[in-house]
Amino acid sequence: MSDDMPDFSNVKGGSSSTATKIYVVVAGDSLSKIAKREYGNANEWKLIFEANKDILKDPDKIYPGQKLKIPPK
Amino acid sequence: MKTRILFTLLVSAALALAACGKKEAPKTAPTQAPTSAPAPSSAPAGIAVSGVTAGKAIGADKKVTAPTEAFATGDTMYVSIDTTGSGNAKLDAKWTYRKGDKVAVVKEETMTINATGPATNEFHVSKPDGWPAGDYEVEVMLDGKPAGSKKLTVK
Repeated sequence: MSDDMPDFSNVKGGSSSTATKIYVVVAGDSLSKIAKREYGNANEWKLIFEANKDILKDPDKIYPGQKLKIPPK
Repeated sequence: MKTRILFTLLVSAALALAACGKKEAPKTAPTQAPTSAPAPSSAPAGIAVSGVTAGKAIGADKKVTAPTEAFATGDTMYVSIDTTGSGNAKLDAKWTYRKGDKVAVVKEETMTINATGPATNEFHVSKPDGWPAGDYEVEVMLDGKPAGSKKLTVK
């Protein structure tokens, strides 16, 4: 980028939906981290766990590549 | 003679029982249908973007509360995208800054949705030290195809 263009490296972004979002787990994720990112509150991880009980038996065991349903808050 | 009548009755009874047995066959067919029924529902029925709106704030329904394309330096910029249809779809928002013929990418965000009907989706961006004044644009894509855009200004 040329010198006279502003620096946008600190821009923060996010998204939400009234529909269920699909989130693909990446290495290092936990339900708390995902809840913090999606809802702004790590304590909301139970919402995600409840919505994915068909594929999650233990909230501490999620794997990269898993597709989790993120229900609208 | 009695033997012949008895034989006829037995054959008739056997045929009637066989016919009864055949009537049960259709019952097994519907039980198989539900197992194949989810296929049509999981097939994408098609999601379309019905509206793109920009603004400074959104409500709980994800819709922009006061549409505008003019922002102040400390504002959070929102773009709200209404969709119709059901199924899975990938929505992208690409925010850019334009200065003369130069373009800088401000932020790119993606989300995949699983809609069961009309939905409203939003992307937002903020800059802790404030937006530089100038011209911006947000382009929305649905499954990689352009679905709308808004030209924005920061003063």
